[in-house]
Formats: sequence, C-alpha cells, structure tokens
Amino acid sequence: MRRHKRAKKTNIIDINMAGSNEVNLNESKSVVPLNTWVLISNFKLAYNLLRRADGTFNRELAEFLDRKVPANTIPVDGVFSFDHVDRNSGLFNRVYQPAPENVTTWGIIELEKPLSTTEIVPVIIFFHGGSFSHSSANSAIYDTFCRRLVSMCKAVVVSVNYRRSPEHRYPCAYEDGWNALNWVKSRTWLQSGKDSKVYAYMAGDSSGGNIAHHVAVRAAEEDVEVLGNILLHPLFGGEKRTESEKKLDGKYFVRLQDRDWYWRAFLPEGEDRDHPACNPFGPKGKSLVGLKFPKSLVCVAGLDLLQDWQLEYVEGLENSDQDVKLLYLKEATIGFYFLPNNDHFYCLMNEINTFVHPNC
Amino acid sequence: MEIVSDSSSPSKTKDIDGLLANVGYKVRSSELHQVAQNLERLESAIVNSSSDISQFASDTVHYDPSDIGNWVDNLLSEFDHTASLPYDFSQLPDLSAPPPQHHHHQSSSTVNNVEEDSAIKLVHMLMTCADSVQRGNLSLAGSLIEGMQGLLANMNTNSGIGKVAGYFIDALNRRIFGQNNVSHQVSLYENDVLYHHYYEACPYLKFAHFTANQAILEAFNGHDCVHVIDFNLMHGLQWPALIQALALRPGGPPFLRLTGIGPPSPDDRDNLREIGLRLAELARSVNVRFAFRGVAAWRLEDVKPWMLQVSSKEAVAVNSIFQLHRLLGSESDSNYHSGIEMVLGWIRSLNPKIVTVVEQEANHNENGFMERFTEALHYYSTVFDSLEACPVEPDKAMAEMYLQREICNVVCCEGPARVERHEPLVKWKERLGKAGFRPLHLGSNAFKQASMLLTLFSAEGYCVEENQGSLTLGWHSRPLIAASAWQAVPLLDAETLRFDC
Repeated sequence: MRRHKRAKKTNIIDINMAGSNEVNLNESKSVVPLNTWVLISNFKLAYNLLRRADGTFNRELAEFLDRKVPANTIPVDGVFSFDHVDRNSGLFNRVYQPAPENVTTWGIIELEKPLSTTEIVPVIIFFHGGSFSHSSANSAIYDTFCRRLVSMCKAVVVSVNYRRSPEHRYPCAYEDGWNALNWVKSRTWLQSGKDSKVYAYMAGDSSGGNIAHHVAVRAAEEDVEVLGNILLHPLFGGEKRTESEKKLDGKYFVRLQDRDWYWRAFLPEGEDRDHPACNPFGPKGKSLVGLKFPKSLVCVAGLDLLQDWQLEYVEGLENSDQDVKLLYLKEATIGFYFLPNNDHFYCLMNEINTFVHPNC
Repeated sequence: MEIVSDSSSPSKTKDIDGLLANVGYKVRSSELHQVAQNLERLESAIVNSSSDISQFASDTVHYDPSDIGNWVDNLLSEFDHTASLPYDFSQLPDLSAPPPQHHHHQSSSTVNNVEEDSAIKLVHMLMTCADSVQRGNLSLAGSLIEGMQGLLANMNTNSGIGKVAGYFIDALNRRIFGQNNVSHQVSLYENDVLYHHYYEACPYLKFAHFTANQAILEAFNGHDCVHVIDFNLMHGLQWPALIQALALRPGGPPFLRLTGIGPPSPDDRDNLREIGLRLAELARSVNVRFAFRGVAAWRLEDVKPWMLQVSSKEAVAVNSIFQLHRLLGSESDSNYHSGIEMVLGWIRSLNPKIVTVVEQEANHNENGFMERFTEALHYYSTVFDSLEACPVEPDKAMAEMYLQREICNVVCCEGPARVERHEPLVKWKERLGKAGFRPLHLGSNAFKQASMLLTLFSAEGYCVEENQGSLTLGWHSRPLIAASAWQAVPLLDAETLRFDC
C-alpha cells in the first residue's frame, strides 16, 4: 500500500483574493485558453437557464441544447464505438475500443472473442459529469473525452448513461452504476490477459466521480473486484462552508448556490448535504477500514471551489488505510480536461495511463 | 423560424476552432473574443436583472445551439426586448404538460445465454455471407445461407435479431439466386395498405409530417396565397393537420392550393383526385379556401415544373418526405444532369418559400456492397427494435413488411432499380447547399412539440435531438430520420434559370 503526502492546505490557495462579492469574470479568463473559456462559460450560461428556483429542471430545453453524437462502428482516429441498450431499463452503455488492425473487420462488432489472450487490456467504466443533472453518455464533450482516454491510455472505455436528477434522485445513479459494473464484469468479450478476466477500473468527473466512489464501496462490500478508481474533481460536499468554497465562490465558473441546487435535486427530499452520498466521510459517513477498496487516483483542480471537500475525501481514504494518490493541479479549473490545449490535460492522461497499466 | 445565410466559402470554414468543433460547437477563431464578450454581457445582464431567467429561457425560441455566437446574440436581443415588457401570460404555451406515461415495454423474449450465443453467431455468418457475395463466391454464400437458416430454426424469430436477420438472409438469398433488380413486386394497393399500417405502428411518418407542417406553417405567415407541393401524396395524411392549423391562424386562413404528386392509378381509378376531394371536403368544413391538383407520374424525374402551375404571387412550399433519395440512382440526362440535380434545379426555379425535407438518417448508398449491408443491418436492427414497442396488430406486422421491402431493395438491387439510396443529413446538406439552398433552422418550439408528440406513444426509447438546425428522431441514442427545412438562395441578376419551365 503506497501512501502519498497530500498537499498542505496552506498551499491550496495561492491567488490574490480581492474579497469582492461580485462575479469577476476576468480572473477565469486569465487562467484558461480562450476557447476553453468560451466552452465552459457557454455551459455555465445554459445551465443557469435550465435550473428553476422551485427545484425543477427544464429537461426539454436541456436536451435541445446538449450537443450529442451517435456511436460510430467505423474507427475515427483509431477509436470506434457502439451502444448497448439494456432492454429492461432502456439505458445504454457506450463502448469505446481501439480500432482493430484488420481494416476488413471495421464496422463489425466482435462479441465472441476476448480483447486479448496475451496482454492485459484495462476496461474503464466511465461516469460522465454534469452534477447529476446534466449531460449524457452521448454528449459530444464526453464522447470526445472517452475517445481520447482510449487512444492515450490504451484502454477500453464503457460510458454509462445513468439516470439523472431531479427526475431520478439518489440512489438511482448508483444503482445504474452498479448494474453497469456487473454487466462489464460479465462480458466475455471484455476479458483479457492470460487468466481471461475483465480488468475493470472505474472513472468519473464531477458527479461521475461521486458515483464511482459509491459503486466501488458496494463492489468492495459485495466482493466484486475493481482494480482502481479515477476521480476527476469529484462532486462531494457537506453542510459546513469550507475555506475554498468561501474564497472561490463565483470566481472560476462555479457558484456555491448552484452546487446547493444540484444537491437538493439529487439527495432524498428533506436530506441535507451531510447525507453520506454527498459527504461520505462526514458526520453520517462510515469508515472503509478493512474493506478491499480499490486504489484511487484523485485529481483535484486548484481553482475548484470544492477542493477542500475533495481533499477531505482523500484524507478519509487515507484514514481508512486505503491506497490513494492525489494529483493536485494548482492552476487548473473545472473542466480542464475537455480540450487538450493545456498541460493539465496531458499530465492527467499520463497519470491515468500509468494507473491502469501498473506493470508497464 | 430562423433564416441562416450560407457561409460555405473555404476560408471561412478553415477558421472554425477545431477543438470546439470536436465537442459540437462552431465558433470561428477570429470571433472567439467577440463571443466571449457577449457571454460576459449576457451574464451581467442576467445577474443584474430581477426577471425569472428560467421562465425567460422557456419562452424564448432557441436555434442551433452549436452556433454559440448566434445563440448568445439571440438571447441578448430577446433579453433586452423582454426585460422591459410586462408579461402577457395568455401568450405562453402550456409548459406544465403532464409527465410522459411510462409504459415499459416488456421484451417478448427473454434472451438466455444460448440465445445470445446464437445471435452473435448469426450476425457473424451474415457478415461473412455478405463478404462472400461481394467477392463473388456464391457457393460459399449459398452454404452460409443454409447454415443461417438452420440456426434460425432454433431461435426466436418473433423479435430481436432473429427477426431482422431473417429478412436480411432472405434478401441475400434473392440476390444470390439472381433476383437482383426484381424488387419485391408489390401492387400499388398493397403498397398503400402497408404504408398506412407503417404510419400507425410507429412515429416516424407522424414526426416527419408534424415537423414539416410546423415549418411550413411558420413560412406561410403573412401570406394570403399559399401553394404546397407534395412529392408523394399517398393518402394525404399530412395535410388535414396543416389545413386545420391554417384555419385557426390569427388573421384568418390563406387560400391554400395543394398539388399532390403520385403514381398513375390502375384501371379507371383516379386515386389522386379522390384524396384531393376528401381534403377539399375537410377544408370546406373549416372554411379554408382550397384547390387541389393531382400530378400523376411514376418518377419525380418525369415531373416538369410547368405541370405544377406555380404563380409568382404564391408562397410555395415543396414537401419531400422520403423521396429525394430515390433520385440518386437515376442516370444523367442528355444535358449531363443527374436526376437529383435536375429536380433540385427545378425546385429552385419555383423560388419556394420553404422546402421541407425528411430523409432516413443512414448511409445506404455506398457502392461497396459490404459497407451498405453492414450499415443497413445496424440501421434496420434499430428500427425493428423500436417497432417491438408497438403493441398493435396488424399494424406492427404490416409495418415490418413495409420495411422488409426497403431492406430487400438496399440489399438485392443495383442500378436504377435500387431506389432506397438513403444518405445521411450531412450529405444532403452538401447537396442542397450546392444546388442553391440555404438552411432554415427548426427551433426549440418545434423540438418541444415533437417531444410532446412522442409522449403520446407508449414506448419509451424514442428521442428527438437537435442537430445544427435540423431535428432527428431516433431510437435510444441512434438517430433514424432527419427533418430539415430549406429556402432558395435568391438568384443573382446575372444568373439565369437553366431549366425549361
């Protein structure tokens, strides 16, 4: 079990805070490339339009605005994809695989043979972000991200189209994640290596990271092997207001009141943010000591107002004697991994690559 | 409806930010700063206003969200406009529609492991068979067919892959045993019957009609004389709804002319006229002045624009539901115009206010047989999957037969006999652009209403998506048909109409 020192809290905030309550958009503009700024600001704007004060969500407009892409069995840039629809739930998983070398087999989905009988091919079950309410597995930003994961990390990716809030609150997303994990583990065509098994990892950004954690807990409790968890600025929170929340509120695309809205939409009605789904190591949380929990790679963006919660999460894992590596990207904002135009992106991909190929 | 000018010059497309394009957005690199500024302006305006933003967003009609610049500009101008007006609640559409009924369709077969294995084997054999056909190894293909028929005998062929595979095996069989170009011979009457059941069994035709009507209605705003040209009248199922919507138009209905194109009727019948009479009767009952003309032609290529008798005083709508792709296989005429070029040319010469186009969102027109076969297998598997949600017989069985003929045509036929030459929207956009048309974007109100239409169906799984100004209807994550609207780019003075009217 390797432990890594976590960054001291005093290192976290290294920016000149003017202490103003006004939205100072220029700060975010100076830390990300312009096209990234436009992309994330556009999302921020759209999301503002969709959340209603009464807690309901304009799902129709959300689906209209979301850019979606279909799967493509013909490889593009070395990666192809196809969707598997579960007849009973109506949910789909999108599977991404590296293009087969034999061009004549392009377009044909191989469902009989394993991925490899000699090498190990990691299968990363990916839960997209969106604060439990936004996006889908076939959203363009996530389709593109999963494709990059495949080509840069030499893995197969299965992206889960879980049910979203407020229409489907806790624990729906976790149940969908659990079902997806079991589906993946039972596919013979996702097996690899000399011992013919599915080398399963889980990953997710924002709410997806939260889902990965909770599914991993259940997997550990029910003895389903998950080799590792990759959490990209995972969505955690709690009732208290942390330093980073107070200092970074509204500065880098995210406002605290929006975070609160999403928790109210996801958690069971009447519950507060210390519910263990939101705050797994909080007052109502439980220890993971003794559980065969997968090793974790937790990536924290230094300009994310939720970082204190994420660092508490890392600490919680350490206190439970679990293996966790913290990747702290000091100058990164949320969503830095959507476009490959910054060092953080490549740093992250390298870390994930190493994480899922531990013997290379 | 939003009119967008055609900006297809090469230097402009090169300037599009590639990374944003990869995630579904079109912004020119040179315009990033301006777009960023507008995003900031809008954010400030929203923060400083006391309006209910979510209500504002609901009321505004949005177009093509992939064009961030225009989308934000539209919001800015709407916001400036509405921020100062008192709300007129009577004008708001009813947004509090009841949640859709969730009837989970029970799959009629529980697939056990043995079934699943057979299904996988079957698909593999189908591919290998198609490959042998492409290579001309007909004896191997034939023995594979026997093998597949054997597999099928032990499988559930009432649903799922068993059923679809059956149709593809049948089609391959016909192709191998020399029944190319002998398309599933079906009488016009049978065609009518199958079409009608297909219309009832699934939402594809209804969505096409509904979306096109919405666009036509908006295009006809402010016009007193309007003329709809329907490229395939069939039973005229599309038109009662439009007639009724025009009847209810504020300011009163226009004078509506409908020209319906269809095949000549056998015997002494005049089917076109009969449909026309029925529609005239309906129009009379709702006080819409109406005139009908039927144009009998076996093929669209045979229709000449003078037959349509378009007057310059009318607003013209050309409506093509699943017809344009049929023109892609016809040979060029003596002036070297292919069928599609010729027809698009004379459509343009009519100077239509709107051209509504609905086509299958599939690539079934590749020359390579294997490619076409694979595409068709994926496409029709999805369509058949969606049909399984239909509980009504004999609609479902007939709808399947309707589709089976399409499958047969795609797989068995070549040359002019192959009329089901479906191409995806991205290709149609190119063709229509080159033929002098520019897109009219379908907006969020059409999207909203199409979504509501779908909630009338018991099956969950159908989904409407917005795709850069067009709407697609699909099953789960696969778009299956695409609806788009177009307007002729005005001819410059120097251009002359090349086609005889």
